Amino acid sequence: MNKIAWLLQVVALLGAGLAAAQDPRQIMEEVQERAQAKSQRYEGTLQVIDRNGRTTEKRWEYDRLGSAGRSKAVLRFTAPAEVKGVALLVVNHPDRSSDQWMWTPALARDRRIALQDRSTRFFGTDFSFEDLEERDVDQFEFKLLGEEAIDGAACWRIESRPKQSKTSQYTRSVVWVRQDHYVFARLESYIADQVVRRLNYSQIENAQGIWSARRLEMTDLRRQSRTILRLEKLTYNLPLDEEAFTLQALRRLS
Amino acid sequence: MKLAAALFALTLPCALAQDFTQRGYLETRWIGYPETAPGDSGQDVGEARLVYEATYKVSPHLRFAGSLDLRTDTHRQAERVWRLDWQDRSIQEPAFSVRRLSAAYTHSGWTVEMGKQFLRWGKTDLLTPTDRFAPSDFLRVVDNDFLAVTAARVTYERGANTWDAVYVPRFTPSRAPLLNQRWVVLPENLPPDLALVEGGARLPGGPQLGVRWNHVGRQVEGALCFYEGFNHLPVLDAELTSLVPLRVEITRRYAKLRMYGGDGAVPLPWFTVKAETGYFTSSDPLADDYVQYVVQLERNVGEWFFVGGYGGETIITKRTPLDFAPDRGLARAFLGRAGYTIDANRSVAVETAVRQNGNGLWLKAEYSQAFGQHWRATASFAVIRGDLADFLGQYRRNSHGMLVLRYSF
Repeated sequence: MNKIAWLLQVVALLGAGLAAAQDPRQIMEEVQERAQAKSQRYEGTLQVIDRNGRTTEKRWEYDRLGSAGRSKAVLRFTAPAEVKGVALLVVNHPDRSSDQWMWTPALARDRRIALQDRSTRFFGTDFSFEDLEERDVDQFEFKLLGEEAIDGAACWRIESRPKQSKTSQYTRSVVWVRQDHYVFARLESYIADQVVRRLNYSQIENAQGIWSARRLEMTDLRRQSRTILRLEKLTYNLPLDEEAFTLQALRRLS
Repeated sequence: MKLAAALFALTLPCALAQDFTQRGYLETRWIGYPETAPGDSGQDVGEARLVYEATYKVSPHLRFAGSLDLRTDTHRQAERVWRLDWQDRSIQEPAFSVRRLSAAYTHSGWTVEMGKQFLRWGKTDLLTPTDRFAPSDFLRVVDNDFLAVTAARVTYERGANTWDAVYVPRFTPSRAPLLNQRWVVLPENLPPDLALVEGGARLPGGPQLGVRWNHVGRQVEGALCFYEGFNHLPVLDAELTSLVPLRVEITRRYAKLRMYGGDGAVPLPWFTVKAETGYFTSSDPLADDYVQYVVQLERNVGEWFFVGGYGGETIITKRTPLDFAPDRGLARAFLGRAGYTIDANRSVAVETAVRQNGNGLWLKAEYSQAFGQHWRATASFAVIRGDLADFLGQYRRNSHGMLVLRYSF
C-alpha cells in the first residue's frame, strides 16, 4: 500500500469514527462500555444541605456486582447512628425498571419499593429511589442537542427519553458527556418542561482504568436543597459474592 | 520475627474491626396520662432503656449477632431484680436481658440461623396475621416492641423463590399488661372488696413449627405459610381462690394454634395493594377458630406516605371466654397511617384505628426531630375513645402524651 492510499484510509477511518461519535446512541454506548466493571465498591459520604443552609451528614457503603442493566447493588447506611443498618437492594434489568427492596433493622422486615413510589426521596437525601438505578442505554432513545463545555471540558449534550418499557418519573433527561473520557459531567432531569433535578459530576479521576467522578452533587430544584456525595475508597473489579446481593443477604446485613 | 508479630498485632484489630459492627441507643421516655384509671392512680411514667447490638462476621459464610437490653422505669413494669435474662418469659420486663444472640451460616443459597433471633413473616404493616413467630411486649398495649424467639431457621433462596422452615423448641409468650397497671381494664361493676391476684403463666412445653414459601414475581409478590404451635397471646383463666376475703386469681394460658396463611403484594398504577390472611384453628376447648385478614393500600408521594386499609375477622367457632388479644382487637377496624417528611431532620406522622361500628377509636399524632448525628426527640399524643365493651374503647382512660429522647450510637 502506498503512502497516499494509507493516508486516505486513515482519513476515512477518522471520518467514520467522528461520524460515529456524533451518533448520540453510540456515544452513550461508549459511555456504558468504558464504565464496564465486574464490580464496584465505595464508601459514600453525603452532605444534605437544605434551602436554609442547614447541613446533615450521612454515610453509606455501596457494593455493585456487574454493570449497567445487568447489575445488582446493595447500599447500606453506616451513619447517622439511627439509620445504621438500613439497606437497599437494587436489581437492575436491561429491559425494564429495576426491582428494589429496602431492609429496616428496627422492623426486621424487607419492603419492596413499588415503581410508583420511586420518585420519593431516598432517606432524606436529594436522590430519589429511581436515581439509584443503573441506567441501561437500551431503555432510552437519544437525541444529540449540541456541544457545550462543563468546567472547561468539551461535552456532548444529549437528550434521553425513556422508552415505553421504562417507567420513569422523568419525562426526559439531558446529559452532558465529556468528549475526552466519555463520562457524565452533568445530568438534568425533567418532568414535563421543568428541570426538577440536576446532578453535577466532578473530580473526575482515573480509577483502575475507569474514569469516574468522585464528587456528585444532586440539586432538587423544587425544594432548593442539594446533596453532595463523595466517593471514598472507590474500587473496581474486586471479588464480590453473588450471594451478597439477595433478599436473604439484606436480612443478614442487619 | 518480632516486627512481624508486632505488625500482626497491629493489623489484626483492624481486620477484625472491618467485620465487626455495632450500634445501639439510649432512650428515655416520659408518658403522661391526663386521667387516672381504676387500680392505677399514677399519671406519670418514666422509662429508660439502653440497647446495644453487635454483629461479627467470622468468615464470608459465618456471622454472629448479639444484642443486650438494659431498662428501668418508675412504674415497676420492669423488674428490679439484677439478673441476666435469656428467655424473655417473665411477666414484667427484665431489667437486663439478652435481646438477641444467634449464629448464621450461609452457603449456596442456604442460610441456617440458630439461637435467639427476630423472625418476621408477612407483608402487611397495619396488622400481620401470619407473623406467628413475633411475640411482643404489650405492657402498654399500643406501644409495643417485638421479642426474639429461640429458634432454628433454615432458609433456601433460589431465583425468585424462598423457602423458610422454622423450629422453635422453647415457647416465648407475648408480655401482657400487668394486673396492677392501668393497661389492665377491669369491669366497672366489680365488688369493691374483690382482690385480683396475678397467678402467673402456664407455659406450654412443646415445640412450634412453621414453613413458608415466598415468590417474588415481576409484578406480584406472594407467600403461603403454615404454622403449628401455640398462640403467643394468652387466654385468661379466672379462678376464685378465696371467698373471705374475696380473691380471684388470673392465670395466663397459651392455647394450641394451627395456622394456614398467605400474603401478597401487587403494585398498581396508583397504589400498592397488600393483603394477608390466616385461618386459625385450635384443639384447645377455650380457643376460637377464626379467619383474620387485612387489605391495605400504600403510596409514597413526594414527602408523603400513606398506608390505609381494613382489618377483618370472621369467627368460625367461638369458645374463648376471656383473653388478651390485641391482634384480634384491631380487627373489624379501618386502619391508617400517614406521614410527612418536613426536611432531613423533621417529620410528622398520624396513625389511626377506627372500629367499623364506631365503638372504638385510637388516634396518634407524632412530631419527631433529629439534632445532629446522634440525638432525636419525639413528641406524640394518643387519643383513645369508645365503649367499654370495645377492645379500643376499654382503654379510653389511657389517652396519653409521650416525650421520647433518644441518643443513637
